[in-house]
Amino acid sequence: MAAPHETGKGLSQGARNALPLMLFMIIGFAAPLLTVIAYSFMPPRSFGLTRAPTLDNYADIFASNSYISFGWSMLFAALTVALLALICYPIAYGMARLFGRWSPILTLLFTIPLFVSENVRLYGWILFLIKNGVLLGTLKSWFGIEPESILFTPGVVLLGMVYVYLPFMLFPMTLGVSMVPNETREAARDLGASRWQVFREVELPLSMPGIMIGLLLTFVLAVGAIAEAKVLGGQTIIPITHDIEIAFTYAQNWPLGAALAVLLMIVVGTLVMLVLKRFDLDAILGKR
Amino acid sequence: MLKTPLSRRNFMQRSTAFAAAVAAGAKFTTTPAHAAREKELNILCWEGYNSAQVLDPFRQDKGATVKAESLTNDPTMVNRLRAGETKIWDLINVNNPWARKIMAPEGLIKPLDRATFEPYFDKMMPAFKAPYKWAMDEKGEQLIGMAQRFGPYCFVVNTDKVSRKTAEDQGWNLWNDPANDKKYGVLESDDWNVFNICCIAGFDPFKVHNDDEVAKFTETAKRVFKGAKVVGDIATMNQSLVSGEIDFHLTGGTYSASPARADGAANIRGITPNSGPMEGGKGGIVWIEITSPVNNPELSPLATEFLKYVQDPKVAHTVAFAEGTFNPVAQMGNKECFDLFTKEELDAIQWDSLEEEVARSVEYDIVPDYDKLLDIMTAAKKEASAG
Repeated sequence: MAAPHETGKGLSQGARNALPLMLFMIIGFAAPLLTVIAYSFMPPRSFGLTRAPTLDNYADIFASNSYISFGWSMLFAALTVALLALICYPIAYGMARLFGRWSPILTLLFTIPLFVSENVRLYGWILFLIKNGVLLGTLKSWFGIEPESILFTPGVVLLGMVYVYLPFMLFPMTLGVSMVPNETREAARDLGASRWQVFREVELPLSMPGIMIGLLLTFVLAVGAIAEAKVLGGQTIIPITHDIEIAFTYAQNWPLGAALAVLLMIVVGTLVMLVLKRFDLDAILGKR
Repeated sequence: MLKTPLSRRNFMQRSTAFAAAVAAGAKFTTTPAHAAREKELNILCWEGYNSAQVLDPFRQDKGATVKAESLTNDPTMVNRLRAGETKIWDLINVNNPWARKIMAPEGLIKPLDRATFEPYFDKMMPAFKAPYKWAMDEKGEQLIGMAQRFGPYCFVVNTDKVSRKTAEDQGWNLWNDPANDKKYGVLESDDWNVFNICCIAGFDPFKVHNDDEVAKFTETAKRVFKGAKVVGDIATMNQSLVSGEIDFHLTGGTYSASPARADGAANIRGITPNSGPMEGGKGGIVWIEITSPVNNPELSPLATEFLKYVQDPKVAHTVAFAEGTFNPVAQMGNKECFDLFTKEELDAIQWDSLEEEVARSVEYDIVPDYDKLLDIMTAAKKEASAG
């Protein structure tokens, strides 16, 4: 009698069982991606995949000022990640080590906004920051001061991105900090390390998996951000995602939009790979 | 067995059509070719026709499943049909030139029975009497759609900051005055922004443009976007006008100002310039929606029923004040329909000046070199964002 895993010729039983899921993954993830890549090689403003492939869309992008949009997306994603790292580490440390029974409440407070649509939250910020709105209106009526509105400026876009992506940095970071065994800190202190040395040589390296996941996750999300620049920034900056949206809507140039999306994937993918090459996640997660 | 052999080429074509259908959304279940579609209707439209207020009574009356998807620009909707979605949709609701000049010649829509539908035009406002130009094909033989919502669409001002008279007299030159920098916004309606930047630059948008005009367009687009305080959607524009962040905004009219006016902000007003660079020295542009049956091989019989349904005075009033934006409807020419509008509703849609604004406007048309001008404008927007 054959063992359950033996199938003779063809696929093993395991592979056969995994087939539906594999097909689902291919249709759900690989097919749309391949479609976008294929579209990027179609002639500009065409609507099918049956035309002769061309590099025209890529040539158009390099001849245009799309680098401005790429630049804004990269810059704001980098600034968001840097600011969030500075803001979130102390909070993560507090949640993992200091706040005790208040930690779950804080977690809840940071999580609740995720249940509200991002656009609704951003429009809430508009009502708060707009001229004669909650902030400026209160300052005017209570103190008689009328500062200039900061709405529709690049600074508010950054504020919006930091606000929206904070949980995506905070929670992996909290996990990372909580992974550091207390004994290692105590051992370091017993061996004469200063508080700074404990932080730099023990806590930071050991919490690096969580920090790295937070940094990568936030960067990838932030580089694809669009609503903050559109809603809070009033399009004072045009990120690359907005460029892609215009290509797919008003311009009806799907191949150009696809080529921009492919380039964005390449740029982000390359950056992520470079970071992963420098910080081996498997190694810091202790898998080898 | 397949009726036609599967070659590499038709495999690719079928794959593309399939991909387009999938992209249209899984919510639209594909119907077997042989199945009747008596009880289902799919509408591709501007917002309003997709509201429950409009659709629910029809659904209940017909016992039908009616799905409507709303988009906010014409080219996207037309290109959805071009990409193979004629098999999905039964009705398409876009602005006037697209039916007559684009969709009918390309075979994307089907004609209506003139004897059945032309009598409805006779009950509309006088300008819409049959044969109504934009509801007919280019030869003037076939009726290709029904008219309903319309409105002038140029720009909007806060009359507390810029009086109606000043705005109408100065017209598009508001954007040629450097003193107005950072006092205005631009509605994110890029196709209309192309028209309006042409008007600011001083030439008619609806013609092929020479090199000098393209150069002037480029310079104007850069200047307009550099001077804009905010570019955003209708809600952002109205909020910014009401709060005092901006004094006026480019691209707008009854369609965009009516939600603010209905909310009591009577100082927010759509403006049609007294004069401008269009034919006959006209300064404004007016849009008229045309709803047409799609050239769907399995067209639902409910498509024509729906077109009749929205002609009913009560339903036409509901369409005019469906959720989103509020607009005049051609059916207001019928007293039975007009009487349903309250004073506040008439004020929200600027009924007091509608006739004169329409008289000062040309009808929305196709811009022959739209793609080129849009690319220039998009680049100008990016350049402005670089400071």
